[in-house]
Amino acid sequence: MSSNAAAPAKKKLTKQRKIMLLKDNAELYSLMLPAIILIFIFCYIPMYGYLIAFQDYKAGSSFWGPDTEWVGLKHFERFYNSVFFSRLMGNTLWLSFLNLAWGFWVPIVFALLLNEVHVMGYKKFVQTASYLPYFISMVVMCGMLVSFISPSGIINKLIVALGGEAKSWRTIPSAFAEIYVLSNIWKTFGYNSILYMSVITSIDTSMYESARLDGANRLQQAIKITLPSIVPTIAIMLIMQVGSLLNANTEMILLLYVPATYEVADVIGTYIYREGLSGGQFSYTTAIGLIQAVINFALVFIANKVSDKLTGAGLF
Amino acid sequence: MAKKNPNRIKEGSPIATFLVHFILFILALICIYPVWYTIIISVSEPIAARTLNVFLLPKGLYWGSYQQLIEDSQVWVGYGNTIIYAFTCTVGMLVVCAMAAYPMTSPYLRGKKLMVFFILIPMYFVGGLIPQYILYTRLGLYNTRWAIILPGCVSMWYIILIRTFFASIPEELREAARIDGANNYQILLNVYVPTSKPIMAVIAIYTLVAQWNSWFAASIYLTEEPLQPLQLYLRRMLILQSNAAGTSSGGQGGATSDSTEAAMLMQLSAEQLKYTMIVVATLPIMLVYPFMQKYFVKGVMVGSLKG
Repeated sequence: MSSNAAAPAKKKLTKQRKIMLLKDNAELYSLMLPAIILIFIFCYIPMYGYLIAFQDYKAGSSFWGPDTEWVGLKHFERFYNSVFFSRLMGNTLWLSFLNLAWGFWVPIVFALLLNEVHVMGYKKFVQTASYLPYFISMVVMCGMLVSFISPSGIINKLIVALGGEAKSWRTIPSAFAEIYVLSNIWKTFGYNSILYMSVITSIDTSMYESARLDGANRLQQAIKITLPSIVPTIAIMLIMQVGSLLNANTEMILLLYVPATYEVADVIGTYIYREGLSGGQFSYTTAIGLIQAVINFALVFIANKVSDKLTGAGLF
Repeated sequence: MAKKNPNRIKEGSPIATFLVHFILFILALICIYPVWYTIIISVSEPIAARTLNVFLLPKGLYWGSYQQLIEDSQVWVGYGNTIIYAFTCTVGMLVVCAMAAYPMTSPYLRGKKLMVFFILIPMYFVGGLIPQYILYTRLGLYNTRWAIILPGCVSMWYIILIRTFFASIPEELREAARIDGANNYQILLNVYVPTSKPIMAVIAIYTLVAQWNSWFAASIYLTEEPLQPLQLYLRRMLILQSNAAGTSSGGQGGATSDSTEAAMLMQLSAEQLKYTMIVVATLPIMLVYPFMQKYFVKGVMVGSLKG
């Protein structure tokens, strides 16, 4: 398409240049070919496959063939009218929101505190320790968690020691959100602080020096110099996180939830996994997936546009 | 705990310094302790491990659960598979993404805009999980190693990162190589790749860690145990088993009194075995991550630059 548009410009070129250009492009496109093929197969065909959301798809047939049974918006209507619509949307948004509200400021405060440590060895130790959870796999983290919060686990021992009562926390619906949010924070706060730390270390040190000469103490320096310097970064991170509000951590919930907590833990991703893959309701769950993908697209798109406006730099 | 730096004009009160150090110490402890707790349980005497009354240092020393795990062939199958997936995906990712990134910096490429869109669209709009599943089945990838390896060899995001790095390489280098008669393959291999080691290292390590820890795709596409990575084995043992046990564990407390000693020992080590599995599966990453963290820090910074 765009090679057609470029054709008039090419006319001016000598024949030799033309051949050179042709050879160049043949080489360049051959280099891109593996990526193009892989992206086409694994990203674009599944997009095309959203068509089955508008059909009664039967296992073994193609996404669009002579035997395709088109049913219009039947599956969307069914989802919209079922109890799962408000439950899944509600859970997804609520868990993401809690995660944002409780987890967003932790890496910022952590980075600010870390900036106040001037003993390099200690700083390095705390930083390294804070990255540790990020490298632990989701399965292992959830495995540890399941064991820790089991009736005989260490969390209950602590609760009993403090005069509380041991409970099977994993099966208590009202505890799920707390468990989810806390373990999410545990896993990511160190890693998420890296960006803030790198911005803080790039702050001009002369600003601190003159502030100190004016008699500012450390708290004043942190609030008046460090914090304002990272506000743009904070704003962008916040926008990006709002953009992914519909992406609750499906992998983690799949590992943590049990039927007793489905009511509060089931999110769009887990529902598709359960009803689609295990339950075989291909068309119905694809319709739900399409709704999620479209809303996600809009959110991420807006988030990117806003952050580009703020930073003045796009992805390309 | 906090040494005062004499060069600072005003350091603030020592109480504040102490408080900052103390809070950070608590945070570091929260990050480390669960892992430490897991390790000490795994090596403690079975009786102590059973009651989980081990808090600071291991009680006694007992390698029985490690021995039991080493003799379990499933662990080794999982380990082998994880290594296969992690390394092939890492190599594939570097090759495919570097090859795709180079042309996008070339001033001679026609239809660059179209290619940029081709790469950007999937980052915003993801295909459906179910269509993906159907696709894999129809391509014959279901229950083959390719189901993990092929999609693991490409990432739109890494193409963009490498492209950004390539774009910072002076254009004169390319022109000089062209005048010397080098073709694009030679320029990529001999000029661009050698100067891009930092970004390549970052991407290699991110891919390696991601593959080492991933389980989701494998849980969908690999139902045969000989193909499954270690994380799926762990999921079976740590999560699914306790899901099944969850309903019966309530009554077990009183029932153990009349079971035979052998059965009791089995019971004793079951929980400890889980902790041992966690240690065995996580140890490689635990040992190397302090050395890899600088690449992760670099990765975050490269990622935030955005072109």
